[in-house]
Amino acid sequence: MNRTLWTCGSVLVMGIALISMPGCSKKSVQSGGDSQSTQGMAKGGADGSKSGVGSFPDTGVQPGGGGLRGLDKNPSEERLGSGTMLAKEDPSGSAGRQMDEISRAEQAASAAAGLRDVFFGYDSWVISEEGRQSLSHDAEWMKSNPNALIKVEGHCDERGTVAYNFVLGEKRAKAARNYLVELGVAANRLSVVSYGKERPSCNEHGESCYQQNRRGRILIKSGK
Amino acid sequence: MTRVKLISAWFGGALLLAGAVGILESGAADVFLEATRPDFQKISLGVAEIANTGGSDWLAGRIEEVLKHDVRRSLVFDLVDLPGLGIQMADVRNGKGAGSKAVFKQAAEKGVSVLVWGTATWKAVGDQSDVNMEGFVYDSGSDEVVGGKRYAGSPSVVRQMAHRFADELVFRYTGEPGIARTKIAYVAQQGTARELFVMDYDGYDTRQLTADGFLNLMPQWSPDRRFLIFTAYRNRNAQDIDMIELATGKRWTVISFGGLNITPALSPDGNFLAFASSYEGNSELYRLDTRTKAIQRLTVNPSGDFSPSWSPNGRELVFVSDRGGGPQLFLMSSDGSNVRRLTFEGDYNAAPVWSPRGNWIAYVCRTHREYKLCIISPDGQKRMQLTTGPGVDDSPSWSPDGRHLAFSSTADGKSHIYMIDADGKGRERLTFQGTHNSAPSWSPAS
Repeated sequence: MNRTLWTCGSVLVMGIALISMPGCSKKSVQSGGDSQSTQGMAKGGADGSKSGVGSFPDTGVQPGGGGLRGLDKNPSEERLGSGTMLAKEDPSGSAGRQMDEISRAEQAASAAAGLRDVFFGYDSWVISEEGRQSLSHDAEWMKSNPNALIKVEGHCDERGTVAYNFVLGEKRAKAARNYLVELGVAANRLSVVSYGKERPSCNEHGESCYQQNRRGRILIKSGK
Repeated sequence: MTRVKLISAWFGGALLLAGAVGILESGAADVFLEATRPDFQKISLGVAEIANTGGSDWLAGRIEEVLKHDVRRSLVFDLVDLPGLGIQMADVRNGKGAGSKAVFKQAAEKGVSVLVWGTATWKAVGDQSDVNMEGFVYDSGSDEVVGGKRYAGSPSVVRQMAHRFADELVFRYTGEPGIARTKIAYVAQQGTARELFVMDYDGYDTRQLTADGFLNLMPQWSPDRRFLIFTAYRNRNAQDIDMIELATGKRWTVISFGGLNITPALSPDGNFLAFASSYEGNSELYRLDTRTKAIQRLTVNPSGDFSPSWSPNGRELVFVSDRGGGPQLFLMSSDGSNVRRLTFEGDYNAAPVWSPRGNWIAYVCRTHREYKLCIISPDGQKRMQLTTGPGVDDSPSWSPDGRHLAFSSTADGKSHIYMIDADGKGRERLTFQGTHNSAPSWSPAS
């Protein structure tokens, strides 16, 4: 029996459907009936039916791509393409560096206004007594500057997983936001965003640094 | 005879993980036949010399080194020390040389199942250079040279030649495509920015993918390896979920609901996107049909739900919820029904990833205030801690053959990417540059 066919058949029977089977995929993997539409993607995210949903390419496994051909008693030459099929994003189309600069400007403006950040305990989003005092001070400033829009950023120390810290950071930001609302700041002036542990203000390992990073940062939102 | 050999090799491959941790069954619906063969032995394979047959001195040695590492990491083969066994390749050439018969006989007597050897040549073609590699395979079971490969390409693909040949060996003996040509996407620090990079599975040939100068986080591969889906910041005030096409660098936004939008995971068939979003309040899980754009909310409770990972058959999701206080792993059907808690040991279990074979879920577990890697069977019956010692281990990601995990760790001070075997052995560091490398995601096999 043809060895390649036999191998592919047995693997399919045993259920490794997830792994594409180069060499036999043409014969056995095209059962789904979906057409392999790969065109018409990547137009920029504006054509989704629900607001905020962009376009998706077909990412189902394509049969045959980059497959192995098996050992051969008289191997013919296989020429390998030069290098990896990887292209770098064109940096000119993105606003990240500008965003970084605006972030710094926001921090500077907030520091100049005397706004105080609020700090949290390990794995906690409870506002401490010291935090309440900071936020009370901030709320007074906000009441006397009624046109300023405020952003609360939630930050975390490096312990724990990336994803968990995003959720924790959001809880911290919302706890601070909610306390400001309790103090009489209009809720529609306040927005929250979590940075998890991805933009620490301090990069050392150890409690004194961790303490700095478990932060609700109170910022005056810039126009952009 | 070849059929028998293939069966045993295939079963053995599937068995490796289970056998290594001493666990022989699992409750997952899509578990294979591992339990039937607990006695798997790796196939003993010797890589004899890759001979330089012209050009640069380093060439053949490089190919031989890469090939040996690939063979060892495959965990299908036991890489034997041929000189240690007194086996010297002489006058074998394509297996028809005068010395070949004696060498083959020696190998068979010493219990070497597979012998591999080859040649490498560097040629100048005009002002360009061209590399040629030949590899041959002798199988002592059938006592014949079962075949070979011939590769050609520019000097930049020398490592790829070895990787491809290694994958052909794995394919020959297991029917699986091998992992030597897989890649790992990850996040690296650049100034204050975090950008996405892609490297070969062995840490070589690193390429930068995003370049927006802000935060690009938690990449996951599309099933067809053509795209990464990840979390980014549209502006400083909200997150999006974006996709980028590897071949073109073209990037666009797929989810922009406002609030937290994190942990995207495409289903194995690419038809659904599971992700966490807080646009309706706190972090909840959603499932988007990527063809109709219909969105279904999967979780409804006041706690955080996030980090979904698909079972290989696409029917279930494992995810994290802190509905019980600290984060714990939960399972549910992919329509949000039949929710049940999976982890009960410890007060912090997060970042779950379902193994490609379905029989394990790897995750981050906290023990003695350290964040380490654990695995648990989907029925919750078996659990094992894979890493120990200081440092935060995070973001486990399975190799497509289910025999390895990539993860990030601060064990050496800075955050770097590592891989380990699925039984916790064979730890290998993959990144050495920079101060922060995180969130590895292992590509599907090609």
